[in-house]
Amino acid sequence: MRLIPLCLAMLLPATAFAQSAADTAQSAVTQHILPRYEAMAKAGATLAETAQAECSPDAPALKAAYNDAFDAWIAASHLRFGPSEAQDRAFALAFWPDTRGITPRALAALINDADPVVRDPGAFAGVSIAARGFYALEFLLYDPEILAMGDAEYRCDLVRAVTADIAALSADILADWQSDFAAKVLSPGQGSPYRSDEEAVQELFKALTYGLEFTPDTRLGRPLGTFDKPSPKRAEAWRAGRSLRNITLSLTSLDDLSGILAQRDPELAARLQDAFQIAIADAEGLDDPILAGVADPLKRLRIESLQQSIDHVREIVRDELGPELGVAPGFNAMDGD
Amino acid sequence: MASRRGFLAGLLATGLAPAATWADAGAPRWLSAAGSPDGGFALCGIGEDMGLRFRIPLPGRGHAAATHPERPEAVAFARRPGTFAVVIDCAAGRQTAQLAAPAGRHFYGHGAFSLNGRWLYTTENDFEAARGVIGIWDAQHGYKRTGEFASGGTGPHEIRRMPGGDMLVVANGGIETHPASGRSKLNIAVMQPNLSYIEDGVVVEIAALPPAMHKGSIRHIAVSHSGEVAFGMQWQGDANGPALVGLHRRGGAVRLCTAPDAQLRAMQGYIGSITFAAGQREVAVTSPRGGLVQMFDTASASYLRSDAMADACGVASCAGGLIVTSGTGDLVRLGRDVAQVAHPGLMWDNHLVAL
Repeated sequence: MRLIPLCLAMLLPATAFAQSAADTAQSAVTQHILPRYEAMAKAGATLAETAQAECSPDAPALKAAYNDAFDAWIAASHLRFGPSEAQDRAFALAFWPDTRGITPRALAALINDADPVVRDPGAFAGVSIAARGFYALEFLLYDPEILAMGDAEYRCDLVRAVTADIAALSADILADWQSDFAAKVLSPGQGSPYRSDEEAVQELFKALTYGLEFTPDTRLGRPLGTFDKPSPKRAEAWRAGRSLRNITLSLTSLDDLSGILAQRDPELAARLQDAFQIAIADAEGLDDPILAGVADPLKRLRIESLQQSIDHVREIVRDELGPELGVAPGFNAMDGD
Repeated sequence: MASRRGFLAGLLATGLAPAATWADAGAPRWLSAAGSPDGGFALCGIGEDMGLRFRIPLPGRGHAAATHPERPEAVAFARRPGTFAVVIDCAAGRQTAQLAAPAGRHFYGHGAFSLNGRWLYTTENDFEAARGVIGIWDAQHGYKRTGEFASGGTGPHEIRRMPGGDMLVVANGGIETHPASGRSKLNIAVMQPNLSYIEDGVVVEIAALPPAMHKGSIRHIAVSHSGEVAFGMQWQGDANGPALVGLHRRGGAVRLCTAPDAQLRAMQGYIGSITFAAGQREVAVTSPRGGLVQMFDTASASYLRSDAMADACGVASCAGGLIVTSGTGDLVRLGRDVAQVAHPGLMWDNHLVAL
């Protein structure tokens, strides 16, 4: 009689883990990933339609549609695997950071040559990824130098081409998830890039980790630079006034994914949520939409404090959520060199 | 051994000893950086028996080392984006000097000496210009910094001297990073890795990958006696990439090594170290992520076999086989005389450098 409960106790954790890895993947796909890509495809389509109706950079409806679609992208921007990576779709939607200023140069080349590629949607998908997506559109809608180039009619065509391309990329990512990739994540093994539910969950964990690295290191790290040499003009999407907004949206979305990945351990899930709430509150309290404060010693301190709050989340994710999901990489395995 | 080392060190200290040579170092056969559980870092000398010969504290996490061609001297480098390098007297097992990367530069963790040992070359990041450079240091005058030249690409990582002369070969990984963004990769969409051959500070040949492979960051290289370069990549795209190992000879085309799907996938897109082995007919690569050591045949550029080893990374050839290091603290000899020595309290870090 005594042996049976003991055997059960030994068997249960493995079984429970297997079940819950599948459950975790299921929740992530249905509650986190698909809704985000649906929102992105919808907002992308609206953006393209709006640009067809009104392509002037002064049109409030166009800017509103742009910001809605950009919001939807940011909420999905950490999901860098599968359909988003096929044909470099995510890079074509979001070529940033642009450390060498390729985007304005690529746009200037198109405008100055009045390149007819903008009138052929199929061909436009073949132009440099730096001239496509949300960051190229930001220049077309907000950058005074680009707005003064060439003629308004050509720039209008270019805005329409970029928005149609955003809509097509967003629709393609969603279509691939719906028709194919969701099943691959949910049914690992033969025909799937994942050999097990655990591997699928580890991919989701990597997405969370990627987002938690990108936001503090790149969205905040690039404008922060060093104390002696801050770089406010390296803030993300500052021309559109979205630098801080992107950080808040990203954190909110990562909070959602982290809650799903930690669902087996309510205590850990709660602690992660608390840490996220502190970071989100820090971001909301900044009142500095383009992070101009990086160049002001006092305001800079608060931006660094936000960075530390996110790094705190990152530590919990790495040290506690990782091992919980079977991701406990070795000294060299996690090195990346 | 300890008494011999003490004796040598004593002689050196009195200045009575003739100039030391590699033969005098006797004990250590390999060098490896290591971490310890308390968060400290060290550079260690390892003997033929895989025992510890010396342990020198490092100011931060190390990566690889360059060995002087004549003296028992090595320079160990900080892991990127570190800025220190330490000069080690391997006979005495002590640090003799420390170098610092110039302002606006950081080390990538590797370096190489000129044929006569006069110059040390280090891979560095000129991060404001996002340009890879090779720093030049004068080993004859206290490792004074004397200049630099372009590495031929972005993100230069391992550098080696070609046999019989002073031509250098550099693995330009292609990835742009900036210390303000930690270790985040800033240019994956447009990265262009290459192998650059450099003579007298001038790039004389660049071997690039086919366009579909532009996300294969060429990170680590080994050079055979006959001048064949083997390289290990780290795949920066989705999934695992089409190949992780390649071979190149000057004037020829890159040969990508083939492996069955399951074996390719098992490496998880990541090669940590590479070396020629088995009389240079084979290439050994490690993947700490996959926990594997894989062998490839150089003639056919194809996969031969795998050995499993948790967190395997550093690898060097030895008589009859290979020595592999692990972040678990294990040193394993594979091949003719299989053996394993555990070093509890040490996490072997990235590279095993043959002395």
